[in-house]
Amino acid sequence: MSKFLKLTAFMVLAILLLAACNGGGNDNNDSANDSANDPETTEESFGDGEIELVFWEFGNTGYDVLIEEYVAQNPHISINLQNADMNDVHDNLFTSISAGSGAPDIAMVEEAQIERYRNAEDAFHNLFDLGAADVEDNFLDWVFQNGGNADGTFQFGLPTDIGPTVMFYRTDVFEEAGFDSSPEAVNELVNTWEDYEAVAREIYEETGKLMTDAGELVFNARRDQATQQYFNEDDELIIDDHPQIREAYDYVANLFDEGLVGDIPLWTPEWFAGMEEGTYATMLAPAWMQGQIKDNSPEEGIWSITTMPEGAGNWGGSYLTVPSESEHAEEAYNFIEWLTAPEQQLEAFLNYGLFPSSPQVYDMPEFMDYEDEYFGGIATAQVFSEAAQSVIPVYKGRLYYPVDEELKEAIDNMSAGSDPDEEWDAAVSRIERILQR
Amino acid sequence: MSTREVGEGKFSIKKFFVYVVLVGGSLVSLFPFYYMFIMATRLNREINSVPPPFTPGTNLVENFQKVTDNIDFFGAMWNSLFVSASITFGTLFLCSLAGYAFAKLEFKGKNIFFGLILVTMMVPPQLGLIPQYYIITELNWLNDFRAIIVPGLINAFGIFWMRQYINEGVPYEIVEAAKIDGCSNFRIYWNVVVPMILPAFATLGIIVFMHVWNDFLWPLVVLRDPAVHTLQVALRALNDSRQMDYGMIMSGTFWATVPLIFVFLMFNRLFIQSLSEGAVK
Amino acid sequence: MKKTKKNNRLTDKKRTAVAAYLFISPFFILFAIFGLFPMLFSFYLSFFRWDGLDPMTFNGLNNFRFIFSDPIFYSSIKNTFLIGLLGTLPQILVSMVIAFALNSTLIRFRNVFRTLIFLPYITSIVAVAIIFGLVFNNQPFGFANYILSLFDVGPIRWGAEYWPVKFAIATMVFWRWVGYNTIIFLAGMQSIPRELYEAAKIDGATIMQQLRLITLPMLKPIVMFVVFTATIGSLQLFTEPLIFLGRGFREEGITVVAYLWRDAFVYNTFGTASAAAIVLFVIIISLTALNLGISSLIGRTKKSKVS
Repeated sequence: MSKFLKLTAFMVLAILLLAACNGGGNDNNDSANDSANDPETTEESFGDGEIELVFWEFGNTGYDVLIEEYVAQNPHISINLQNADMNDVHDNLFTSISAGSGAPDIAMVEEAQIERYRNAEDAFHNLFDLGAADVEDNFLDWVFQNGGNADGTFQFGLPTDIGPTVMFYRTDVFEEAGFDSSPEAVNELVNTWEDYEAVAREIYEETGKLMTDAGELVFNARRDQATQQYFNEDDELIIDDHPQIREAYDYVANLFDEGLVGDIPLWTPEWFAGMEEGTYATMLAPAWMQGQIKDNSPEEGIWSITTMPEGAGNWGGSYLTVPSESEHAEEAYNFIEWLTAPEQQLEAFLNYGLFPSSPQVYDMPEFMDYEDEYFGGIATAQVFSEAAQSVIPVYKGRLYYPVDEELKEAIDNMSAGSDPDEEWDAAVSRIERILQR
Repeated sequence: MSTREVGEGKFSIKKFFVYVVLVGGSLVSLFPFYYMFIMATRLNREINSVPPPFTPGTNLVENFQKVTDNIDFFGAMWNSLFVSASITFGTLFLCSLAGYAFAKLEFKGKNIFFGLILVTMMVPPQLGLIPQYYIITELNWLNDFRAIIVPGLINAFGIFWMRQYINEGVPYEIVEAAKIDGCSNFRIYWNVVVPMILPAFATLGIIVFMHVWNDFLWPLVVLRDPAVHTLQVALRALNDSRQMDYGMIMSGTFWATVPLIFVFLMFNRLFIQSLSEGAVK
Repeated sequence: MKKTKKNNRLTDKKRTAVAAYLFISPFFILFAIFGLFPMLFSFYLSFFRWDGLDPMTFNGLNNFRFIFSDPIFYSSIKNTFLIGLLGTLPQILVSMVIAFALNSTLIRFRNVFRTLIFLPYITSIVAVAIIFGLVFNNQPFGFANYILSLFDVGPIRWGAEYWPVKFAIATMVFWRWVGYNTIIFLAGMQSIPRELYEAAKIDGATIMQQLRLITLPMLKPIVMFVVFTATIGSLQLFTEPLIFLGRGFREEGITVVAYLWRDAFVYNTFGTASAAAIVLFVIIISLTALNLGISSLIGRTKKSKVS
């Protein structure tokens, strides 16, 4: 019984605590200001201007430093920066918009997730109405277009960073197979997808190693080079109407058939471990993957970078949007226009490695001279910017990612030996059922 | 006499068997928890190696420092403690009260009401997210603990459990006797029933407390401001968009779970103590 | 004198009823606010097309027509039952045995065991996902595949093949909930008077006899309770398939709740999701009715046997 009394006392204590919490609620801004000096806390309120902008972001952007600069220049603005997990930011934004309440003034939306809002122009302020046309030239065409609707009359967001894809490769495996491992030589050697397959065969014969870890990434690479993908601009499914996606699929099927690529699922521990083990020669991946590679395979000079065969693609990157609920759309827009301007993008790149979506940055000397000892001292930024400029704009569509997921399931199944044609047909019929819903 | 001896001999083999089952079961139960600790002491790169490490590393302190650099760990822990304790005690009170009514009081429509409570358990909760969120915004409870606590008090399982236990554990005669003594229904509940069902409180308390402590789906939706984040929500902010630092994430997760073990032990003691008190009676 | 007594008893009855309504009202009030509206909303939505963002359009019975023509919906029902049986039935039996062992006065370190057995319920889901990802890995070096290779069984794709997926998910369910049910059984067993066991021991009853003749019959209400809640829990199975298979799921492992969740939050088709929710609700209600019917039937025959 005495235990029970103790528990009750504990409860009373907890309730007192609540009172304390509620009482402290109003002082929130002050306490948050104290923590503003610490760049690592998740929430920060910057400035004490009368207009407060709530800004939802994810990832490690380092925007807090830039925001401090901004509120110093614009004393009437204060910014409440709330960092959360990427999926959570998107889910909360969707719930808020759906229920019509609770959205922030500025929401960071990932490139893949912005597709979801394709038909929901009511949910966001059209940035063209706020002056986005004036800054359109600050960004790569394809990036800017992907942040708008199909006919280019509505702009959902301003691009922040992007994820141009390149070919990461292991110099040790290339050397073991008897190739020159300098970026220029590898670029020449693996210039087309045909070359890629031929080199894969040679590397396998010479070393017994695979060309790449995951067939999925080869498919992504070829998919992103297609001028048409899953949907046309009327949101009709077109994967069977043009050959490009099917070619990408068959190409991967063939590599599996010959045993030249691995089937390790992405983001698993064994996939990360593979980065260091050197059991494969190349990884077709975006700029931000260099962080993972460095983290998992710390030795310098093993990995290097060159452009992908036949072009590049984009994977990742974000947009800054202004949900229509925001009552301070103009102030929010001014802030995001400033934040995505070339000067700020350069800073975000130098400090946090966010790859800029603005081609102006690519010509800045600090950017061009950026060299990376880890990748053998080459000017990595230039390789990535070359890739960024060769990306083809393509319409994706609202259900792009669910469709992509079904194709990945087909690829996964055929890596285990299923018949590629049957898997393709099965995937297409699954996709058609998704579209019927 | 001889049969008894045979029985005894068999008995110790069985006892051995029981220990084997318990030890085996405990190890299987413990392993993921242990591995959580291993990850909390290791670098990301070590966690990702094949085969993975099964012994503690040296990064325990650094990993936790990274956690506290990124989130307000102890603030979030207080929030979690407050929310979990409030819901637990609220639930214990409301569920035992309703359970008592269903078990020992006569009223019209009893079976129908009880049936309705069971029916509410059968509705899959996953779709309620958007309408529920809508209600919270209408109440203006976004970023307010009430958004978690008040809906958290709905617990059909708890009422069901309490009714079951009171049915079995509280003899009808005692309730009747108290009634004849002129006790009001609430007094009977408070003075007679509650002391007799402490083990049921302990059991339900464990389950509810742990559940609330670990829940993040709903808190994630309504607690957006980091000042009101519970631990599980705060820990989510440790996820980077692409690059997961599992050493840091698991460090946060591990230290967020440790208090639960103490809470479990506390309830467990309440459980055992109340039983032995019952035995004395 | 007699009259007043009767009056007293009447008002007593009334007072008791009022008290009872008062005692159960918090649940119904809270549920009316936070539970009923979402429920009705789902029902309403099942006749509409809605992506969560644009205005809803009336869709008649098409959502139901669609899910009943979708082979994956049938797979999801089948999977739910198979995984439920594989994961829940052994779990109830094992947790009963463990609870019995923990309840026995002869076992030492009971508190230690009790805590350890309960650990899975509080272990972080992220850690669980990583561990089970290592154990049921598709690659030959996965723990389960490594064990199988010792018996010359080739590597199994745990995440993709028909039975292995179900087995892996059922194992997770088993692992996560055994401790939980053990605690509930334990509470039930503790309410059985010790004297009964002592009397049985004096009569020379073996442990098995004690279990069969005392524990089980006395525990029947708790067993029914656990079966009831575990049935509902397994029909609403969602978390384990999600962490094992990811947001896309797969036809081999998708459950009904996973199906409707994917419709709602991945495909953003809330209409079909709500229709699936209603079908699931009907399934659960009919099963429970069946369950109650059977157990009351059993109860009756047993009673008649006793008397």
